[in-house]
Amino acid sequence: CVPLKGAWLFTPLSNMATVKSELTEHFTSKERVHRSKVSIVGTGSVGMACPISILLKGLSDELAIVDPDEGKLKGETVDLQNGSPFMKMPSTVCSKDYLVTANSSLVIVTAGAHQEKGETRLNLKLSAFPKNRVIGSGCNLGTARFHFLIGQKLGIHSESCRGWILREHGDSSVPVWSGVNIAGVPLKDLDSDIGTDKDPEQWKNVHKEVIASAYEIIKMNTSCTIGLSVADLTESILKNLRRTHPVSTIIKGLYEIDEEVFLSIPCILGENGITNLIKIKLTPEEEAHLKECKNTLGNSEGAEALKLSKTTILKLLKRS
Amino acid sequence: MSTVKEQLIEKLIEDDKNSQCKITVVGTGAVGMACAISILLKDLADELALVDVASDKLKGEMMDLQHGSLFFSTSKITSGTDYSVSANSRIVIVTAGARQQEGETRLALVQRNVTIMKSIIPAIVHYSPDCKILVVSNPVDILTYVVWKISGLPITRVIGSGCNLDSARFRYLIGEKLGVHPTSCHGWIIGEHGDSSVPLWSGVNVAGVALKTLDPKLGTDSDKEHWKNIHKQVIQSAYEIIKLKGYTSWAIGLSVMDLVGSILKNLRRVHPVSTMVKGLYGIKEEIFLSIPCVLGRNGVSDVVKINLNSEEEALFKKSAETLWNIQKDLIF
Repeated sequence: CVPLKGAWLFTPLSNMATVKSELTEHFTSKERVHRSKVSIVGTGSVGMACPISILLKGLSDELAIVDPDEGKLKGETVDLQNGSPFMKMPSTVCSKDYLVTANSSLVIVTAGAHQEKGETRLNLKLSAFPKNRVIGSGCNLGTARFHFLIGQKLGIHSESCRGWILREHGDSSVPVWSGVNIAGVPLKDLDSDIGTDKDPEQWKNVHKEVIASAYEIIKMNTSCTIGLSVADLTESILKNLRRTHPVSTIIKGLYEIDEEVFLSIPCILGENGITNLIKIKLTPEEEAHLKECKNTLGNSEGAEALKLSKTTILKLLKRS
Repeated sequence: MSTVKEQLIEKLIEDDKNSQCKITVVGTGAVGMACAISILLKDLADELALVDVASDKLKGEMMDLQHGSLFFSTSKITSGTDYSVSANSRIVIVTAGARQQEGETRLALVQRNVTIMKSIIPAIVHYSPDCKILVVSNPVDILTYVVWKISGLPITRVIGSGCNLDSARFRYLIGEKLGVHPTSCHGWIIGEHGDSSVPLWSGVNVAGVALKTLDPKLGTDSDKEHWKNIHKQVIQSAYEIIKLKGYTSWAIGLSVMDLVGSILKNLRRVHPVSTMVKGLYGIKEEIFLSIPCVLGRNGVSDVVKINLNSEEEALFKKSAETLWNIQKDLIF
């Protein structure tokens, strides 16, 4: 397949000098080696929220987009390409064939309900990947919302409010109240009932709002934040930043969990994907919540990731 | 009993609630939101306000952006169906407008948009009397005229996004043909944003080398390399993209971000945007068309005097006539 790249151009074949040959002197035809190519699978609203963030942050040296719907794919890609004078990235390519993703450092999978039969081939490959290279975007977005809402309550920018939400993106996420701190001051030291029903300030509602807002926003079919969250993770991976993020990985052997389940816990992300896990200290209640219903989790988070459900983003690293 | 906040934080001085660099986006459709996200990612504003008529969508979009605040540095994002939320904006970006219905004449479409602008513009000017208004809604040249007329603002402060995007598309396609990044390819398209835009072939250059010196027939029908097709593709781009994905958003969002950057930071870069061209190139009516303008803190502060050859000038004047034929019958 030929990647679509402004493919309507008709270049006349001629032996006579072209403007290009008159203008430029050729030095070398070395094959391009992509060092930070990112591929995105799926052009739904979640999929298309990612390119603009990645492009404006200049994170990769090529962006490839894959989707079976060729019309939409081409439309979105040309729209992005038309903006290239305003960005500092070389190219965006697309195809309905996965070949266009070759040599990617990072593949972001956002496919939704419109999967073709060919998708199962992708699913099966996932389980053959080493576990450090299969990452679920997990609670990165929920934690970002948590930061924002804590910040709103205290009148401080979200970046200065530290708090982690773990386990699973959605209703059964676990806010780690013992870790919530500003400038190193744990809020639990100031309000020992924080996060419980006895709490006079009802901080528990902050977590409830994180969950509720996800539903509210989905109803509106918007997805700007998810693109920002994905770009955030992409940056850590491609630049080998080794920052900590709450992403989903296979947990086995931690917190007395024996099965292979996908849970979000703080991970260090770098060019090899997840290189370390943070052994976060949980209170007995928090640990109980984390392990709770793990029977269903074995089917839910992990299997959902493998089935590529609508709200889960799973990133695979594939370096050849 | 003291709250967590009281125990944690000692207040020294009241929070200064006045933004220095506020931007309002009117219209939260695909174009408006693409403008919003591009502006946020470029850290251009310290406050962003969204205005629309559909209050649920508006709230959802606002919340979605707010929740991303960890990833950017715009601390205040607000929204409202009432224009009071836009107060004290430096720039107001207007993306609202009616879409052309099947069989509808351009005049009828524009007349509907006049009604919409009459409900938007006076409120904008009331709440931000010193703002610059950037008009994006189509047909942008006529609507920039409409907005200018209704607002009563000086021409320097009413700017149509015009051919900034056409020129970007032009540079992208030139770049593809030459294997050079678009930012190193220079080419200007002026006039009407749309079917009768005027490509300035004599100005197309890379590293100062005018392509016309390498190919004197550049842009003509007898050109062996058919460079003229590139301009045709620029015009067709929008239609193609709309046919494929239903609308265009990313490129126009980035184009707007580019213009906003020049204005807010007083960069005084030159952009082909839609401004009043009465008195130029023999045009006698109050027409807005794209010509290269210097954009800074005050909006359009200067225009670049380009020498058009007779063919280009004829095309330019023809655009002006087409636009005036519609404008003259508008009822305000």
